[in-house]
Amino acid sequence: MSISAPFDRRTFLKVVGAGSASLVLGCYSADAKTPPTEEAKGERLEPNAFVKIDPDGTVTVMISRSDMGQGIRTSFAMIVAEELDADWDLVKAENAEANPNKYGRQGTGGSGSTRGMFTTLQQAGAAARDMLVASAAQKWGVEPSSCRTEKGKVYHDGSNRSVGYGELTSTASQLPVPGGELKLKQKSEYKIIGQATNRVDNHDIVTGAKVFAQDVEIEGSGYAVVSRAPAFGARLTSYDDKAARAVAGVEDVVQVPTGVAVIAANTWAAIKGRDALVMNWDIGDAAGLDTAKLRSQLKAAVGEHKQMPAGAKVVSAEFEFPYLAHYTMEPCNAAADVKADSCEIWAPSQSPDSAQGMAARALGFSNDQVKVNLTLLGGGFGRKSNNDFVVDAVQVSKAAKRPVKMIYTREDDMQHDHYRHMTHQSIKGAVKDGAPVGWSHIAIKAGRGRGRGGSDFGNPAIPYAIPGAGLLKKDSDSPVPTGYWRSVDHSFINVVNEMFIDELAVAAGADPYEFRMGLIRNEKLKTVLRTCAEKAGWGRKVTVGHGLGIACFEGYGSYAAHVVEASVEDGEVKVHRITCVVDPGLAINPSGIQAQMEGSCCDAIAATLKAEITLENGGVVQGNPFDYDWARMDDNPEIDVTILEGGGSPGGMGETGYPSVPPAIANAVFAATGKRPRKFPIRMDEVE
Amino acid sequence: MPTYTINVNGNNRTVDAPSDMPLLWVLRDQLKLTGAKYGCGVGGCGCCSVLVDGDSTRSCLMEISEIGDSKVVTIEGLSANGDHPVQKAWLENDVPQCGYCQAGQIISATALLDANPKPSDDEIREAMAGNLCRCGAYGRIHKAIKSAAEATK
Ligand code: FES
Ligand code: FES
Repeated sequence: MSISAPFDRRTFLKVVGAGSASLVLGCYSADAKTPPTEEAKGERLEPNAFVKIDPDGTVTVMISRSDMGQGIRTSFAMIVAEELDADWDLVKAENAEANPNKYGRQGTGGSGSTRGMFTTLQQAGAAARDMLVASAAQKWGVEPSSCRTEKGKVYHDGSNRSVGYGELTSTASQLPVPGGELKLKQKSEYKIIGQATNRVDNHDIVTGAKVFAQDVEIEGSGYAVVSRAPAFGARLTSYDDKAARAVAGVEDVVQVPTGVAVIAANTWAAIKGRDALVMNWDIGDAAGLDTAKLRSQLKAAVGEHKQMPAGAKVVSAEFEFPYLAHYTMEPCNAAADVKADSCEIWAPSQSPDSAQGMAARALGFSNDQVKVNLTLLGGGFGRKSNNDFVVDAVQVSKAAKRPVKMIYTREDDMQHDHYRHMTHQSIKGAVKDGAPVGWSHIAIKAGRGRGRGGSDFGNPAIPYAIPGAGLLKKDSDSPVPTGYWRSVDHSFINVVNEMFIDELAVAAGADPYEFRMGLIRNEKLKTVLRTCAEKAGWGRKVTVGHGLGIACFEGYGSYAAHVVEASVEDGEVKVHRITCVVDPGLAINPSGIQAQMEGSCCDAIAATLKAEITLENGGVVQGNPFDYDWARMDDNPEIDVTILEGGGSPGGMGETGYPSVPPAIANAVFAATGKRPRKFPIRMDEVE
Repeated sequence: MPTYTINVNGNNRTVDAPSDMPLLWVLRDQLKLTGAKYGCGVGGCGCCSVLVDGDSTRSCLMEISEIGDSKVVTIEGLSANGDHPVQKAWLENDVPQCGYCQAGQIISATALLDANPKPSDDEIREAMAGNLCRCGAYGRIHKAIKSAAEATK
């Protein structure tokens, strides 16, 4: 079987061609107590292997989490390279295959990759460096402590000698791997971390050479699409594939758990074959379910608020948020080759380790019979945390008894997602003597699947000191599968928090910025908000018809604030400018952080002003960019990003930039028009 | 099944395909030129953009029988080593996030600059409106087009 690797072709060749002199360093998590050996694996928490150095000096960093555009292939490599003192020009990133025993947890989400892996990767780089230094010192007969490293070389200044890492690999690989916690650099010593660094995949992307899962070549494979249920929970009663089989290029039609798959010589024939299938479904319980029905169900579930203190001025508001699809630019897809006793998968998964387990269970295999090659993801945003699409490809390959490349058409992708929850939120607050004295937030979420979970007037996760504040989250049954979507519940909870604190400020006769500053508990968040207000010129005179809105967010180990300048023209909200200040603690790659912040703003504009998923007869109505559109270049405002480093270890960046943008937009609309939008996406003709 | 000979990246390529097969699938599945991506299949996202006689064209909508003598250039054919001015500007500005839309963006930017070497901001926005970037790399796309225009002055 000839396959092209799911990572860079160049890197693949390099690794395959690497001789036995490669120094493959096992790097172990920081709490390891004894020196690691191959045999010691079982005693260890998770033995890892993150660094390879070839005799030609190439440093290969194994990337154990998924890069969906957030740039961790670059930032992980930077972290290792920093402690290793590598020559950045010789550093390559290579995706690790699914192997949780070797790499630990591989799921990518919750803005947790850099937070979770920072120390491990630092230690991995430091261990490699120690061995190279020890090897050079041995060679020169000097003390390791008299040597230093810089840009891929060990130096002994006393004797004016230096040697490249590549020349040391064979001797260094004979030395014991240092155990325990290694001494790491101080921030002031960083040369790579903190430098705006271009994505390692850029060249392959701009030349079209980057291999995504659909681009993998597998000998003898067919292209497959699946005809799936038109409504959630619908059951297939019968189907007729005669016409489908007659379509030129169609090679096979097989039934799989999710529907009926058409396998063809090319994607076009597979799609045409699927169109020719006659499918009979029993819609079941979801028949008649539509968005309006679900809306009333959610509204009816609100129940009683907490009591507001007597004598205070009470403010209340109701908010509605729709389901949202992830709409990754690369629709869900995977390639699978199921054989009698093995299975190989190429997938853009956010959790290749769980894909491995799910595929093994579906096939009755053990995990080690399933090899999962992780490709680059053409967007994830939480969608690809759910490996249903990987299992689909596996089932099609199993049923068709041949390798397949299964793709969701855009319609499949939009109609068979795991959606961001639809919610109804009711909130009540009170102010007395210019200060908030009550806060009761009830959020009803409609969904099935991930992201469920209630709370009983628990911590509202507001950064403000408000006595007795509470959040009640309730799940309301719906057949619509739900999942993680950029910033998860913060994508609607923080939005309401930040819109409502504005309402309380107005009720208290205070400026929304000053009001927040007086209540924020965390000093870092205060600094971020203050900086943002200063940068945006909060309080300045704006063009007639424009308004400024402010909001902030604390989460994922980071802090963010946004000021939005918006106006309403011909009934449409127009975002003119967004000022963003973010504190990730420690910025690994400022270029990547800036990109995440800009992308979050785009997401927020789309979700606040454009997109919504609606239901009709138990299924999703939208199917393509004409009825579910995302932000386009002409929606994109001027975005000014400032990164502050408040100290400590790096915080998450993938989701941090989102939750304060929608409320800043809505607050800007209020400032511009005096009207409070409370229903998303905002349509001005619906705003009272 | 009919046979078509089309000119792709300067070479004549012969394929057997039904007359209504979109160029995108001919390129990707038959000619194994996978740089152009599938994003929607209905002309709404621009991921599949290729140059057809210099115009940025949605290959998911163009049928193989419509191509005739036209010259098709895909991202793979834009330059030998990624050194087309637009590609260089993309690299200099660290444009890509997930990268999936970028071949289409670069193709549309190339067509724009060939037709209009000094586009205004509004002209850039208008020319690029058909290319969706779900990651929201628009600021850098815009900047890269400006710098490519500057570089080729
Ligand atoms: S795939 Fe052609 S425009 Fe979307
Ligand atoms: S870079 Fe991901 S869609 Fe544009």
